[in-house]
Amino acid sequence: MSAETGDPMPIRSIPELLAHALAMETEAAERYGELAVQMETHHKADVAAIFRRLENAEKKHLGELTEMCGKVELPHIAPWDFKWSTSESPEAIDIGKVHYQLSVREAVQLSLEHERKASEFYASVARTTDDAEVGRLAREFADEEQEHIGWLETWLAECGVEDSTVVEDPDPPLSQE
Amino acid sequence: MEAVAQKYKAKDYKSELKPIWCPGCGDYTVLNAITRALAELALPPEEVAVVSGIGCSSRIPAYTSVYGFHGVHGRALPVATGLKLARPELTVLVTGGDGDGFSIGGNHFLHACRRNVDMTYIVMDNQVYGMTKGQASPTTSPDWEGSKLTPEGTGINPFQPLVVGLASGANFIARVSSSDPVNMAQIIVEAIRHPGFSLVQVLSPCVTFRPEQAEWRDIVRTAVVDYTGDAARAARRLMTDDGFNVGKVLFKGERPPFRPEFEVTDGSVAQLEARFSL
Repeated sequence: MSAETGDPMPIRSIPELLAHALAMETEAAERYGELAVQMETHHKADVAAIFRRLENAEKKHLGELTEMCGKVELPHIAPWDFKWSTSESPEAIDIGKVHYQLSVREAVQLSLEHERKASEFYASVARTTDDAEVGRLAREFADEEQEHIGWLETWLAECGVEDSTVVEDPDPPLSQE
Repeated sequence: MEAVAQKYKAKDYKSELKPIWCPGCGDYTVLNAITRALAELALPPEEVAVVSGIGCSSRIPAYTSVYGFHGVHGRALPVATGLKLARPELTVLVTGGDGDGFSIGGNHFLHACRRNVDMTYIVMDNQVYGMTKGQASPTTSPDWEGSKLTPEGTGINPFQPLVVGLASGANFIARVSSSDPVNMAQIIVEAIRHPGFSLVQVLSPCVTFRPEQAEWRDIVRTAVVDYTGDAARAARRLMTDDGFNVGKVLFKGERPPFRPEFEVTDGSVAQLEARFSL
């Protein structure tokens, strides 16, 4: 059900590409924010800090992108008509893949996976479009995603044993006695 | 694609209150699907109401910016029915879980389907009472041994909400998975647009008390057959279904919604007396 297919349908115009980018950055920022709140609620401050930092980075991207869109008239695209091959936008972490004992390493790995998907989406747009300007801009967006990827790869390499360990819950949820 | 700015964004339908569901819970994606659907329909928040009963999933009204009513256990449907009849211009959604809807509220469920008032009932089915720490619910399989209250399983047949809803007269029936929130949003849009009582069953895992349900995302499959308007055909499909065909509308009926005519009055005692005079 959550399986991904190959290259997306071609994107043929700058407004269409910008509409996709805007939706993707918006969803990524919101999702990282949602996950940060979830982790804060469950007293996972270290994991929450990762998602909060990524939320802020995505908000920065979003701000730049919104400025770039300027007065471009963007098409309205229904959530199910976007041309990515995933259900939600590729940069948004699947909520079903987190849990309350998420380790720092798992959080970084999940984030890295989705940042890579975002970059790959833009790369595939560049590969499949027949519009040179769309291709150029898509490659630029893919490169921008590489910044987050590099940062997360470094973070992953620096994860220590304590970042990979799931701390045992002293009061686990149990079915009623 | 229309070249028009979107009037509302999904975020516009969320409140400042942050959900406290367990991380990984399917209900997060249901909330996201509802807000996406409302944005796509461009419904002004003040023209929408979400009504719920009690349970984890019944917390949804608090997390939205539309009108909300977090009511009594199992009684969401009668409250929503009254609201829709009194304020027919509102778009009314009802949210809740399988215990709230099919056990405590089971009788109301039957009669809401029969009555066919124009509203959309979104049931987050996780086959367990999560808020009270994991007891068997009406939709739990008979051999589930996860609760110490039923250590050898309940031994009784699970409730079949879609079959019962269909037999009772629901005008729109669909099953979706919380692992595909975008498809869910699309189905919710269709459910809201379809006149009459729409029933949407969401397979929404309880990651805490039914952790094995995490596998649902790999088990569910997109239904291959499109919807029918023939209730008998829909029933046959449901009776041979394993419960994991999702992502499409199963049934769209053509029964007109229940819309009683109300007299317009000035609310005066004299008018009431005149109405009831023998």
